[in-house]
Amino acid sequence: MKRRDFLKSTSALMGGTILYATGIPAMAQAEPVSGGTLIWGHSETTQNLDMHQTGTASTGRVLQNVHDSIVTVDKDLNVIPNLAESFEISADGLVYTFKLRPGVVFHNGQKMTSADVKFSFERCKDPATGAVNFEVFNSVASIDTPDDLTVVITLGQVNAPFLSRLAENGAGVIMPTGTGDVQGTTPIGCGPFKFVRREFGNEVELARFDDYWGGPAYLDKIIAREITEPTVRLTGLRTGELHMINDIPADRIAEIEGDDKFQVVSWFPLNWDFVNFNHDFEPFKNPKVREAFDYMIDKEALLEGALWGQGAVTASPSYPTSASYNHDLKQRPQDFEKAKALLAEAGYGEGELSVVFKATTNYPYHIEAAQIMLEWFRMAGVDATIEQLTWSDWLSQCWVDKDFQITMMNFFTLWEPDFLYYSLWNTEGAFNYRKISNAKVDELTAKARVTVDPQARADIYKQVQTVVHDETLDVILWFRNGTIGAQTGVMGLDTIVHPNGSNLNFHKVWLQS
Amino acid sequence: MSYILNRILSMLLTLFLISAITFAVTNILPGDVAMMIMGTQSNPEALAGLRESLGLNDPLLVQYGRWIGGMLTGDWGTSLVFKEPIAPLLLQKMTASGLIVLFSMSIALICAVPLGVWAAVHPNRWQDTASSSAALLGVSLPDFFWGIMMILLFARGLHWLPSSGFVDPGEDLLLAFRHALLPSLALGLGLMAHLTRMTRATMTGILNQEFIRVARAKGLGERTVVWRYGLANAVGPVMTVAGLQVGYLFGSIIVIESLFNYTGMGWLTYQALLNRDIPLIQASVFVIAAVVMLANLIVDLLYVLVDPRIRLS
Repeated sequence: MKRRDFLKSTSALMGGTILYATGIPAMAQAEPVSGGTLIWGHSETTQNLDMHQTGTASTGRVLQNVHDSIVTVDKDLNVIPNLAESFEISADGLVYTFKLRPGVVFHNGQKMTSADVKFSFERCKDPATGAVNFEVFNSVASIDTPDDLTVVITLGQVNAPFLSRLAENGAGVIMPTGTGDVQGTTPIGCGPFKFVRREFGNEVELARFDDYWGGPAYLDKIIAREITEPTVRLTGLRTGELHMINDIPADRIAEIEGDDKFQVVSWFPLNWDFVNFNHDFEPFKNPKVREAFDYMIDKEALLEGALWGQGAVTASPSYPTSASYNHDLKQRPQDFEKAKALLAEAGYGEGELSVVFKATTNYPYHIEAAQIMLEWFRMAGVDATIEQLTWSDWLSQCWVDKDFQITMMNFFTLWEPDFLYYSLWNTEGAFNYRKISNAKVDELTAKARVTVDPQARADIYKQVQTVVHDETLDVILWFRNGTIGAQTGVMGLDTIVHPNGSNLNFHKVWLQS
Repeated sequence: MSYILNRILSMLLTLFLISAITFAVTNILPGDVAMMIMGTQSNPEALAGLRESLGLNDPLLVQYGRWIGGMLTGDWGTSLVFKEPIAPLLLQKMTASGLIVLFSMSIALICAVPLGVWAAVHPNRWQDTASSSAALLGVSLPDFFWGIMMILLFARGLHWLPSSGFVDPGEDLLLAFRHALLPSLALGLGLMAHLTRMTRATMTGILNQEFIRVARAKGLGERTVVWRYGLANAVGPVMTVAGLQVGYLFGSIIVIESLFNYTGMGWLTYQALLNRDIPLIQASVFVIAAVVMLANLIVDLLYVLVDPRIRLS
């Protein structure tokens, strides 16, 4: 997407909702029909199917249809009721009271009660479960169930992001009591589709759950074929073996768009990307050097070069529709003279600084982006080389050992501002693999955690973004588009993308007979 | 009989060594499965908890002992990343790969032996040139090239066969066959070329030997000379090469599996390695090694059947 198109459409932009769609015939007018099996070419392999234990976007994407969370978010990322039909927060921000929706049934026939909520949250909190999001419940002092449809959660201290974190299945999922042992292989939830089977590495089969509290879905079945090779996915779409595929390779989108047998649905953000400096590496301790590197990067050109323009540049990683998005920040333009001057001020003359850029082959466009940036670094007089790492090597070297000088990463589903800013930029943040330690950010992110008023909280996060930008703690690059390619007979695709931009929900998708 | 017992014993010893080496090597690799499970959602605290619950903090010898103990008692464990029980998973992926290895080997042998003989019987004539050129083409072009060509022709162009995926033969035999056909053809073509050249070379050598001249001098028909006297002697070396190729196929199958999204053993082993899923790596390597050794043992035993001069000792 070109910058001017982006600017034109920003007023109508919605987090994780449809950006544009082509080739969709009479989508709005058609009357949905029930029936049929949709075959989806899924871009990734599902892993452990236990919603608490899985940290991968791929598994969450499929399980979105099997599970429901206690609350959810609307397109502007405001928390709204879901399995809880209402919720209340006490004035001191310590007591959360959830009134559960009556008549919710799990796939195993069990009726959902407050006991299931207690079971699910306590399971997530229990370190023995190995839940990825267990820390969401760190501040929980007690979970009480005064009656079958009421849950009262009392916190030991104020934790402003608590409710928002429950809007994702990772922490907010409700599972029937006593099903912990089977969730990893046969997940049971109360979502619109029942899990039927998985032929590991090959396909996952889901079937409509007729007793779904939100009304039955249209599709009888979904077969999610796991096809990681993009060209194999595209071939499957072209031969008609697949109804739809997600994640069309950026360089092939135009080809599918140009074919009237297919429709392309595109939205943003799927995820966002940034360039990282290791703040423990001597040259990058100096903010001038980091700023100089920012001036070397032409973000627009990089987006074109690495992603074929499938995204929109941004100076803030907050989801574009969220209240905390700081619209005042502008990315630094490419300016080699300024970059060289800043490097000289920091004591690095032409050719005196050399850096190694570690990029992971897990995201092929990272490699392409790194190669382009490398040329720019050289043009600014920096001696730079690339090291390509497999995903496991990147995780162990950059993420765990923090052994790198400069790298690049992306994040999915981090729309909750505390999860985003505290985790990534606070000195103590769980995702602070760049060894950033900035007193102002630390103070602000800690303050936001105990600020209950949403507007005041959003303002604090805007300040955090200003610091991240002004001191070039990282270089925020862009939001990347998500894409789906489908046969024209697949309908309701305008409803498929979850506000988090990564999950797909087939509840309202249907097949033209 | 004692020969077979000896062979099986030495196989077991080799398998034990292989498992120990695999275990040692995979533990040297940087990173671990806990990190791969949590990815960029991990924080040090959660990672430590997960490592503890997966038993990764136990001494290596304890972990290895646990694994060997499990293997011996028939408990192959559960994949750490995928939470799938390993034994049925391996059975399923072995079936998938076994199917295309078997098909491609059959296709290759059925075509290669007559072609090779045909070329050897007509040395330096057009038949020889045609067969040798075809074989050269087959050997020179990688199997993924044939795979792409077949997808374009049979799946995208003619819509005769599916372009990707695997179907369990227990579920739908015909559909399983349809899914296995293109990958098998792609694998089989290269193999066929290889075996054709092998058959031709062996046959050419044999047809120039004295006993063939004697047979002809005795007035035996050419068909009898070539097929009963010539080929009977050529089968041994061709079988040896075919047997070795089974091991090669299981090793190189990953490219074809990726191309056709036909998730079999190659794919599984690669996933296990990528994710540092040690129990799964161990079991996959173990099974592949066992199959290769078994295939070689079977070839050795078949020698006795096709060549009465050979005695096992």
